[in-house]
Amino acid sequence: MTNVANAQPRSRFVPGQPDMWAFVLFEALVFTAYFIVYIIRRTQSPDLFLESQAHLDLRVGVFNTLVLLASSWSVARCVQAARERSLGAALTNAFLTMLFGFVFLVSKVLEWVTKIEEGFGFTTNEFFSFYYFLTAIHFLHLLIGFVVLAIGAYQLASPARRSQEIIETCATYWHTIDFLWVLIFALLYVMR
Amino acid sequence: MRTSATGALPDEPPGSLLRRIAWHWRYDPKRELWIAWWTMLVFYQLFGLLFFVVTRTQPPPQPWWEPTRVAQWFDEHLYGLLIGFAFVFIISGMTALMNALIAYSMRRMSVSRAFAYSYLVIYALSTLPGMLLLGIALTVGAMRPDRDPELIRWIYDFAFMTFDGTMGVFLVGSLVWMVAILLDENRVFPKWFAYLSLCNALTEVVVAPAWIFKSGVFAWNGAISYWLNVGVFVTYTTAFLTLLRRMILREDFGTGPLPELSTDEAPEPSGSVRAAR
Repeated sequence: MTNVANAQPRSRFVPGQPDMWAFVLFEALVFTAYFIVYIIRRTQSPDLFLESQAHLDLRVGVFNTLVLLASSWSVARCVQAARERSLGAALTNAFLTMLFGFVFLVSKVLEWVTKIEEGFGFTTNEFFSFYYFLTAIHFLHLLIGFVVLAIGAYQLASPARRSQEIIETCATYWHTIDFLWVLIFALLYVMR
Repeated sequence: MRTSATGALPDEPPGSLLRRIAWHWRYDPKRELWIAWWTMLVFYQLFGLLFFVVTRTQPPPQPWWEPTRVAQWFDEHLYGLLIGFAFVFIISGMTALMNALIAYSMRRMSVSRAFAYSYLVIYALSTLPGMLLLGIALTVGAMRPDRDPELIRWIYDFAFMTFDGTMGVFLVGSLVWMVAILLDENRVFPKWFAYLSLCNALTEVVVAPAWIFKSGVFAWNGAISYWLNVGVFVTYTTAFLTLLRRMILREDFGTGPLPELSTDEAPEPSGSVRAAR
């Protein structure tokens, strides 16, 4: 654990706890398995998946992606500010990240409500089963991300408990959520 | 099997395996911990053997079968179900020792005892949906083949839905263990295992669609709801069996940080060591 106030040039191989990178690896493997199953099922029913995919609004997917990329930018600025001991700026960026995350959550819930009102539910067909499943499991990761960001903000809020390593660990988790969303976006909204 | 460097024990005698086991039984202060660990190891071997080979209930059969096909399945697996679940009921008591060892690991951490007690309660409860309800329901179906096939199919649905679709208790248990490890300052477990617990908890959410779908990747025998979850669970179980063994090797019966293992896997002497007995 490295105190921000006593930050030394570090020779660590990865930012944050190396253990969090193990989580990134585990989650990447699990999501890769989801994606492989999705692609296999898609190749077995290409017409159904293409026809169903046309009912998704690409603009919503692009908006979601831009919002999460903006959140990754703000969390990176948070880490940078913490390294430079600009703790006020770091805290502001942590809250900005939460705001972007909240915008993503609201837009995703609105998209789900719209699709359900249009008659596309979880059991409508296999494409929509995957759509709700992948977006919901990602949504759950994002909810945990708020807890993780709150831990980071708690670290930043008091000089007595500041830990650069924990802040970087929290940022790593948030970037993982963003990374997973980009893949889900590409598979569900873009891939034809 | 190694012992702690307590300094008060006679040296382990050379010679036959039986002689060394007898020595450990008499002198080893970690005797109960090793018994619990070996119980856990044996339990998981038996669990796999009984569910996958003897009863043939894993991987689960098709969720969409009609009543006559379900009745035929019970008939084809009659002796496997009766003999296999008889053994499952006998070995279910082993879970008490397993849960106790995991609770012990949390008691060894620098966290509140509430974590260990919560885990014990949650996992005592989880034995029901995780093992016993399936066994009881399928044994009832196997013992009453003369009943209405619709009733038999209801029992079949009940058995596999409770077994494959109820992971909530396991999920909460994994999270309790995860938080304890993240807060612990005694380094009982590495932090990566806490994150693996989170990963395991998140994949247990994935089984929920098994309640809705009767076929496809989200059914109770589907690629995502079943096979992926099994893969993560096997990885998780292998990890905690290995780490619990390591914890016992490192145990010094102190209250501070657990000493690291030296190259011969015996713990470094620690200032917090006290006589265990």
